Formats: sequence, structure tokens, C-alpha cells
Amino acid sequence: MFGVVAVGVPAALVIRLVTMAVTIGLARRPRVARWTALLGSLLASMLTMGVALYVIGSGRPVEGILVHHGASGIVFSYAVTPLSAWFLMVLGLIAAPVALYSAGYFAHAVAADRIAVVGAAFNLMLGAVEVVFVADGVIVFLCAWELMTLATAALVATEHEARASRSAAYLYLVMSHVGTGCLVAGFLLLAAASGSMSFPVLLSGHVVSGPLRDGLFVLFFLGFGVKAGVIPFHIWLPEAHPAAPSSISALMSAVLITAGIYGLYRVCAFGLGVPDVSWAFASMVVGMVSAILGVLYALTQNDLKRLLAYSTIENSGIIVLGLGAAMMAMAQGQPALASVAVAASLTHVLNHAVFKGLLFLGAGSIVMATGTRQLEQFGGLLRRMPWTGLFFLVGALAISGLPFLNGFPSEWLTFQALLLGFSSTPGLMRLNFPVAGAMLALTTALAAACFVRAFGISFLALPRSAAAANAEESPAVMLAPQAFLAVLCLGLGLLPGVVLGALQGVMASLPGLQPAARMADGSLGMASGLTSFDHVAPAVFGVALLGGLAVAGLLTARRGLAARRVPTWGCGGELTAQSEYSATAFSKPMTMIFRAVYRPTRTVDALGEVSPYFPREVHYRSEIEPTFERYVYGPLVRAVVRAATGMKVLQAGSLHAYLAYVLVLAVILLMWLGGTA
Amino acid sequence: MASNPDAVAAIAGAVLQIAGLLAVAPLLKTAIKKMKARLQNRQGPPLMQGYYDLAKLLRKETVRSETASWVFVAGPRVYFAAALAATTLVPVLVAAAPLEAAGGILLLVGTLALGRFALATAALDTGSPFGGMGSSRDMTIAALAEPALMLGLFASALAAGSMNLGVLVRSLVEHGPSWHPSDLLAFAGLFIIVIAETGRIPVDNPATHLELTMIHEAMVLEYAGPDLALVEWASAVKELLYLTLLVDLFMPVGIATNLAPGAVAVAFLAWGGKVLLLAVAVTIAESTNAKLRLFRVPELVSISLGLAFLALAIRFL
Repeated sequence: MFGVVAVGVPAALVIRLVTMAVTIGLARRPRVARWTALLGSLLASMLTMGVALYVIGSGRPVEGILVHHGASGIVFSYAVTPLSAWFLMVLGLIAAPVALYSAGYFAHAVAADRIAVVGAAFNLMLGAVEVVFVADGVIVFLCAWELMTLATAALVATEHEARASRSAAYLYLVMSHVGTGCLVAGFLLLAAASGSMSFPVLLSGHVVSGPLRDGLFVLFFLGFGVKAGVIPFHIWLPEAHPAAPSSISALMSAVLITAGIYGLYRVCAFGLGVPDVSWAFASMVVGMVSAILGVLYALTQNDLKRLLAYSTIENSGIIVLGLGAAMMAMAQGQPALASVAVAASLTHVLNHAVFKGLLFLGAGSIVMATGTRQLEQFGGLLRRMPWTGLFFLVGALAISGLPFLNGFPSEWLTFQALLLGFSSTPGLMRLNFPVAGAMLALTTALAAACFVRAFGISFLALPRSAAAANAEESPAVMLAPQAFLAVLCLGLGLLPGVVLGALQGVMASLPGLQPAARMADGSLGMASGLTSFDHVAPAVFGVALLGGLAVAGLLTARRGLAARRVPTWGCGGELTAQSEYSATAFSKPMTMIFRAVYRPTRTVDALGEVSPYFPREVHYRSEIEPTFERYVYGPLVRAVVRAATGMKVLQAGSLHAYLAYVLVLAVILLMWLGGTA
Repeated sequence: MASNPDAVAAIAGAVLQIAGLLAVAPLLKTAIKKMKARLQNRQGPPLMQGYYDLAKLLRKETVRSETASWVFVAGPRVYFAAALAATTLVPVLVAAAPLEAAGGILLLVGTLALGRFALATAALDTGSPFGGMGSSRDMTIAALAEPALMLGLFASALAAGSMNLGVLVRSLVEHGPSWHPSDLLAFAGLFIIVIAETGRIPVDNPATHLELTMIHEAMVLEYAGPDLALVEWASAVKELLYLTLLVDLFMPVGIATNLAPGAVAVAFLAWGGKVLLLAVAVTIAESTNAKLRLFRVPELVSISLGLAFLALAIRFL
């Protein structure tokens, strides 16, 4: 068994490489290329997941060698630790159905002449993320990290004729490279301090100390935070997600964001030694702000995929909040409490990947059927697309953190961690926890409002456009992956104990944690992990809900489900799509209440021939202020441009000037070397 | 997990409790109406009016919009089932919740949120602008109320060291109500939230069908017959549930600790008396206040949030 598992990771990578080569070779036969790329990816993802499940189940890491170059003596090894395995499992669990979905979806969403490139990039991105998760040394990690970024940027720019796609890909690259720069600097400093390039040495926790350690934390938090999409490093995310094909967006939310989270785990929380209180505090604040602002921005979006992208920021925030709580507990020397928080955060990594993957696939089906991403153009889709609607509803319920679906257990655990943190942390730091709890409650409730709006406006009532009225259901190859993820939402929601049981080994492998023996309790529910507080068993409680439904059925049995059908009262006029409540109207109260955040502006132009009081046409335009783009990144970009303009003087384009620079530099170097010698 | 009673007893308890609360809930709703009328020098409806209304609605024909889908049919049913299921997590007469092995306060809040999600989604289904308006407003107020509700519940739960209502009530019965100032603050905060969540003045007006003031009513405007009966009944159960929750968290005096008939009878009288007392408080709040504009509600809710946060702070600092 072990022998098979040991070759699993290299085998998956070889499959990906071969698939890429074959796909590119088949560029002239797009249909074959499409199926080759995606079936190859499906196979590789399943193989990776198999290895991950083995490591999680056995608790033993799998290690091996990726590249061994005899002549130069270079050896690149890999290690699937239980933590890596958890992230690999999440990757496999989402990437496999997404590959199947894409086999159908790319036929529509990607032009035939670039299907081979997109299919290859698809595999390159996933393979790179796999290597990121299993990399055992700095060089492999950074190369894979960079390949992951480049492949994703290529996928974001799939429709590169569109200016929006190009600028989204560019923004993504710029932000990513700022992050990568931080990572390179951080790893170089660490390597210089430890004299090694291999992770087990580098990230053993006692390489650096003092201000250098704090500085490294900041570098790594920034570097990984950009990828994780937490505010204020999030600005690439709401641009890149809508620009990419929907199944790529699903992967970006479920896999790419997760790579950032993995980095935060591997390096920031468990690689630099016992976290400092200030790190934990900063992480919690970043998590809270991301959660609350993410959901607030999601709530007012009229572009379905932008809405989902902002919701990814929210969920990333919840994950980082849990991680921050864990770091706080570790800083306070409370390993049991830290385990609860880590369990909350890692469960949410899995759950978010599942429901966000599902929602993005649903969004892809809608976009394919209607040709638009605008909520105000949808409406009544449930009639035309009953299955997509059902699966999207499951995803919407799950992401709102409602019981019986998988959003609930992880949010429940996060609440437990925060409450336990409040009652067992000394000093003023404890007030951090109830504030975070209140923020999380607000976030969850706002997410519910956001997804009532997203589902209700898209799928219910009357179609708001001809495109929505004539939408057609997706083919089975696209519905089956959604069905799979929807069932997973329900399964993980009803039996959270199974997930916690699997997590036990992962938590035990991390330094500074001490998971309680039975967080997964016997009734397939889960307990908070410390002796008191709470336990939950959604499957048991589900019986009560079924009972309630039965009573409702009995009460209305006399009339049955039959009903007289009449037109809706249209307030005196005929009911049209015009009189339905729109997405903008739905979120209007929120815009008013949180106007300090949104700073909404609106302009109304009445065009009249005689006087504006008798308008012939009214132009209405409302928007909310892009705070971060305007006040944080705007000045930053202007400063960079100014500095670059200043530097232009040096780059005169004259060969003589350049030779002079070389001369001056050589003289300075010689003087410096002479001085030291 | 507290001494896990065998499944049969749990199910029997759950069934009895659901049936009992279902039976009493309409009475509470009518009693508040009646008391309110008396304060305004009106006669008010007979006390049995709630039951007559439900009986009438259940006999009537169901009329649904032709634009509505199955979501519209599912809405009231899930709302009703969620309210019923939530009652099994709350101790009423005995200091143990029938299904306390299934979860505590967070599950309770989550289940009620599931019901609200179902109803608010269904409200968008007919295409009537009222449904959307009600749905939007209801979700807005619920979202604002949620942090205050959670903080208020945390403040009470942390004192008892558990988020499980059964454990919490037993701890309170054992140690007696503390009358700590933080309890009073948390109570005041939660009382405001209960008013907001049950759709009472000054947040919502349950007696109106005017587009400026409707919130909950706008959401359910399109329902008729048995569908409407389910919504009305579930709302009544929810209101009773919230008042019972306040009783449990702050003054569970008199609750039975065993199943002796005498103790249960005393517990019934004590519970009834305390719920009635709270109902009087709700009536007075409703009669002496004017309905707030929608955009003034956040201020009211933030008062509650502040109270709950103070409650937490002074207990532990």
C-alpha cells in the first residue's frame, strides 16, 4: 500500500504533464483536446486525493523525491504532511468535479482556437498548487508558487480581447508579484538565518527571534494574504473572478485562495515559532474586517460573479479569523483552545471550497444560459433551469451558515472557539473575542440576506429579460458535478463529526496544539473540544425538522398541495417584470444603513423637452465608493508612477550614459572592496 | 453531553412539548391583542379568537400566484417546521430540553434563521413588489439584530459555562438567579431583540397592511388559506419561544427538576405566569411607543448591542 501511495504524487504530476503535452499537440482538434485535458485533470486530481486521504487516515506523512539530477547533485524532495494532505484533499474534492463540469462548459465558454492552451493552463495551475502543498524546500515552493500565479493569470485572460479581462489579469499579476516579492524576501532572510533551504529546518520554529521574527511575520502575512484575498490585499479578486471562465473562478475560490491560507498556516502560524500576541491580534482584525466588508460589498453587487467573489473575501476572512483565534490561544499557552480554533478554521476551508465551488458552477450554468452576469437581467430561471436552481439553492443555504448544511458546522465551531477564548483568555485581549463573535454573527446574517437576494432575484418570479425567459438547462455533464457538490454540502452538514474525526490527525501533527480526544462525538455530531460549552448533532436534530414538516403536512392535508392559481395582484396594474423588486432595491436599506462604508452616490438626469418636470427620459445611476481602490491603492499607484517618471531620467536610451553607469558602479565597487580588504 | 436520556423519552418529550407550545401559542398572540385593546379602551377580540382564525384559515381554499414556483409552497412549511423544531431545544416546564443532545443556543438561532431564509426567499416568488419589500426589510432587521442577540445570549451563557440551554437552566436553578447587574443589562438588551425578532412595535407593526409600515406582513401578503395558517401559527410559536427563552435565561425559578406531577404543575403555573408578565411588558412597550421609521431601527438595535456588550464587559472585567 505504502509503495503505491509513495508514487501517487509524482504520478499525478506526470499525468498532468503528459496531459498538457498531449493537449497542446491536439490543438487543431479542439473537441478531443478539451476532453483529454479535462479527463487527464480528473484522473490526476483523484489520484492526489487518494494520497491525501491515505495520509489523513493513517496520520503518517508520505515523503519522496520529485527531481534528482545526478550530475549537479540537485535533489528536490516532497512531503505530504497531514496538513498538506488536508489541503490536497480539498483540492482533489473540488478539482475533480470542476474538471468534469469544464468538459461541458468550455465548449461554450472558451473559443475553439484556444481550448488547448486553456486546457493546458488548467492542468498547469492545479499541478502547481499540488506542488505548493507538498513542496519541502524553498526553491520548489517558490517555483511552483510562481507557476501557479502565471497559469492563473493566463486563465483569467482567457477572453483577452476584452479589455476588462486583460486589466483583471494584469492587476492579478501585479498584486501577486508584490506578494511573491515579500515571500522571496522572507524566505531568503529565513534561509540566511538558518543556513538551509529545506522547510523542516527553516520552519522548525526556532530559527529567528526578536524584531527580525516580527518583520518576517509581516512579510509572510502580506505575501500569503494577497493570495488568500483578505482585505486590504483583496482588490485583484473581484476583478479576476468575473473575468475568468466560471469553472476557473470555482477553482480560484476553492483552490487558489486556499493556497494562500495554506501558507498562512504553514509559515505564519506554525513555522515561525509560538505566535506573538500582536500577530494573533492583527490576524483576528484582518479576518474580522475581511469578513464584514466582504459580505457588505457582496450584498450590493449586481454582477453575480462579483458577488460570489466578494463572498469569497468574506469566507477567507472567517478562516483567517479562526486562525487568528488559534494563534491567540497558542500565544497564551492554551493548546486545547488553539485546537478548537484550528478545527474551526480548517473545517471552514473544506466547507467553503465545497459550497463556493458549487455556487460558481451554478453561476457558470446561468451565465451560459443567459449570456449575462447581471442579476437584474435574470428572474424566473427556476422554471427554465430547475436543477441548476435547486443546486444553487443548496449552495445559498450552505453559505448562509444555516443548519443541516455544511456552512453551519464550521461557523458553529468558530463561535465556540471565540466564546471559549473569551472565557479563558486573561486580560483585556479577551474583549477581542466577543467583538469578533458579534462581527461573525453580523456576517452570517448579512450573508443570508445576500443569498436570499442572489437566489430570489435570479431564480424566482418573472423573467426580467428575454435572455432569462429563453434560458435553457445545462447538459448532464455540467449538472452532475453540481449534484455531487450539493450532496456533499448536505452530507458534511449533517455529519460534521466525520470531518472532525478526520481532522484529529491533522491537528495532532501540528506543534502547539492539543486536540481533545473526542471532538467528534459518538452521535456523529461534534463537541466544542473543551470539557464544557456545547455540542451539536445536526443529523439528530434533522429528525425534529422532518417531524415539523410532517405536522405541517398533516395540518394542510385537508387541502393538499393543490391550489387555485390566480395572477399576482399587480397593485392595480398588470404585473410585469418591471414591478418586481429588483436586486438594487433589495439591498437599498443596507446601503442606507451602512452608508458610512458604502458612501453611495446617485445621479438622476431627467431629460425633458420643455422642462425637467415633464421628463421624456430619466437616466439613473447609482454607485458605491470603491474605498480601498480610491484611498489606499490610488495614492500608492500614483506614487509609484511618479517615482518611475523620476527614474526615467536615468534611462536615457543612450549607450554612453549606460557605459558611464557601469564605470561609476565599477569604481564604487572597487573602492568598497578595497576598503574591506 | 448531559446524561443522555434514552431516545424514546427524548422523542416523547419533544412531541409533548411541540404539541403543548402549538396549543398555547395562539392564545398568547390574542392575549397581547386583548391587553392592547384594553389599554386603548377597546373591548378587543375574545381570547379564543386566535384559534378561530387558524381553524378558518385551515378550512379555506389555497390560492397561489400562477407565477410562483415550488419555493413559494415550501416557504411556509419550512418556516413552520423550523419554529417547531427549535422548540425542542428549549426547556419549558422541566429543566431539560427534549433534544438537548442535539445542540444548544447556536443551533436554535440557526434553525430560526433557516425558517426566516425560507420565508424571505418565498416572498420573492410571486413577483409582487410587496413580497420583495418585506423580504428585504425583514432580512435587514434580522441581520442587524443578530449580533445583539448573539452577544446577549453569550453574556448569559458564559455565566453558566455552557451554550446548551438544558445545562444552562440547570446551572441557574442550582445557583439561583444572580441578580448581577450584567444579567439586568443582558435582559434589557435581549428584550429589545425579542421585540425586533417577533415583529412588534416599535420595530414592525403586526396589525397593519400599509406599505410604509409593513415588514413581516408584506412578506406573507400573498399567502392564503392553509399556507397562511402555517405562517401565522409558526409566528405565534416563535413569539412564545422567545419569551420562554427569556424566562429560561433570566428567571427559571419554579421550573421542575423531576417529572413528579406536582412539580410539573407548579412549573406550568410559574412558566405561564412569567410568560404572561413578559407579554404585559411587550403590550406596554407596544402601546406606549410609536412605530419607528425603518432607518431608525438600527439605532434601537445598537442600544441593545451596547447593553449586551456592557453586560459581557462588567461580568468579566
